[in-house]
Amino acid sequence: MATIDVHQHLWPEPLLAALARRRREPRLLRRGDGWTLRMHGEGDWPVALADHDPELRLRALDAHGVDRAIVAPSVPLGIEALPADEAGPLIDAYHAGIAELPARFVGWAAIGLAEADPRALDELLDRGFAGACIAADALASPADYAVLEPVLAVLERRGAPLFVHPGPSPRTLAATHPAGAPPWWPAMTRYVASMNAAWHAFAVAGRPAHPRLRVCFAMLAGLAPLQRERLAARGGRSVADPLTFVDSSSYGPRAVDAVIRELGVDALVHGSDLPVVDGRDLALGEAVGAALRERNPARLLAPEMSEVPA
Amino acid sequence: MTAPGVPVPAFERDLDRAALRRVVSDLAGRPAVWRPLVTIDAERRRFEQLWRDEHLDVWVISWMHGHDTGFHDHDVSQGAVAVVAGVILEERLVLGGPPVARRHEAGTTFDFDASHVHRMRQDSGGAAISIHAYSPPLWRMGTYAVGADGSLRRASISYAEELRPVDAAA
Repeated sequence: MATIDVHQHLWPEPLLAALARRRREPRLLRRGDGWTLRMHGEGDWPVALADHDPELRLRALDAHGVDRAIVAPSVPLGIEALPADEAGPLIDAYHAGIAELPARFVGWAAIGLAEADPRALDELLDRGFAGACIAADALASPADYAVLEPVLAVLERRGAPLFVHPGPSPRTLAATHPAGAPPWWPAMTRYVASMNAAWHAFAVAGRPAHPRLRVCFAMLAGLAPLQRERLAARGGRSVADPLTFVDSSSYGPRAVDAVIRELGVDALVHGSDLPVVDGRDLALGEAVGAALRERNPARLLAPEMSEVPA
Repeated sequence: MTAPGVPVPAFERDLDRAALRRVVSDLAGRPAVWRPLVTIDAERRRFEQLWRDEHLDVWVISWMHGHDTGFHDHDVSQGAVAVVAGVILEERLVLGGPPVARRHEAGTTFDFDASHVHRMRQDSGGAAISIHAYSPPLWRMGTYAVGADGSLRRASISYAEELRPVDAAA
């Protein structure tokens, strides 16, 4: 059974080139010897191109004992939330680049939100993409599920999973970075709130509309599962069910163990968020490791993903 | 009242030992619910989760002769067991003396609170099948071994080590 990391990021060369050609956010700017990412609502980030080198990443997979990485679009960049004429070339560049990576990499398909296209998703699934990655802000209220119903219906019909990742919708793309706030500010405030909203919106509207859809929320759904007692005190019911997963990205043993207590170990999958944060050993024991890296991803993803790639 | 298709009723709070015993007794009488989860494997005990919610988890455990849990505790969870086939021998740890042993035969139930340290062994010729309920759901456990100097050593483990073991990953 393959060891799988369900959450990595890698900007393939066509996407890097397309971002470097842009004159508006999100864009890559040359700064001296290096590159800087400028995006909506966040500070500038230095970009090390080596972080997106497929050969170096393969070595990182070996170092982390990972057979297969599922590569997600970097949703916080806001590419999918751009007007369709701007988003299209960037999304196409991402898909084209991911499709050319070695077999140990599989992509989550990116979904342009201004004009979400279920037929394009159908074709991407035919081309071997694992499922679709959608910005949490675009699935943050019950009404969002009506808007994206055709896309989610494709996933459900094809037996392909949904990956909910923090990031803006067209409505929230204009968020600004607070003056004086450190670079991690959005990751600790907006992302967390947004993943909580997405978790609860899925319980209220997503699951009833899509009873067979397998879904994975990044970053332990912003610890939304730990809000269950607060939810129950207000008459709400937990979303926890056998088709709903959360990934461990950027959390450590304390938060992961707390969520295991709430959801059970079967609901968690290993997602490292490489290269944003380094993958780490959770030190919760071999059985938890095997559940998160092998058995549970096999239940989240299509069966062929669990075969060890050649 | 159990909703159609749902094997156990919904509880609004954690269950006490009497309620846990009722859950396993009720399930024991409904083999159509647990029988599909029985897996006989001579190599190891097999565990299948029958139910999990915020207050309760229920497992079907299939044992062959000699399968043994070793001494363990359930941290903050209390539990109840219904034996539906075969015999389970339960031993409760006694410091400075032999364990207190009880045989639990098919058709019987027993329960324990979170303070209990016990081991269970399959003690019948063929397979044994038992239904286990824990409240709050099992999370961390303690396992016990005797150190070189004779001192008792406790290791804190995830419940996954017991019920989702690595060698069952395939």
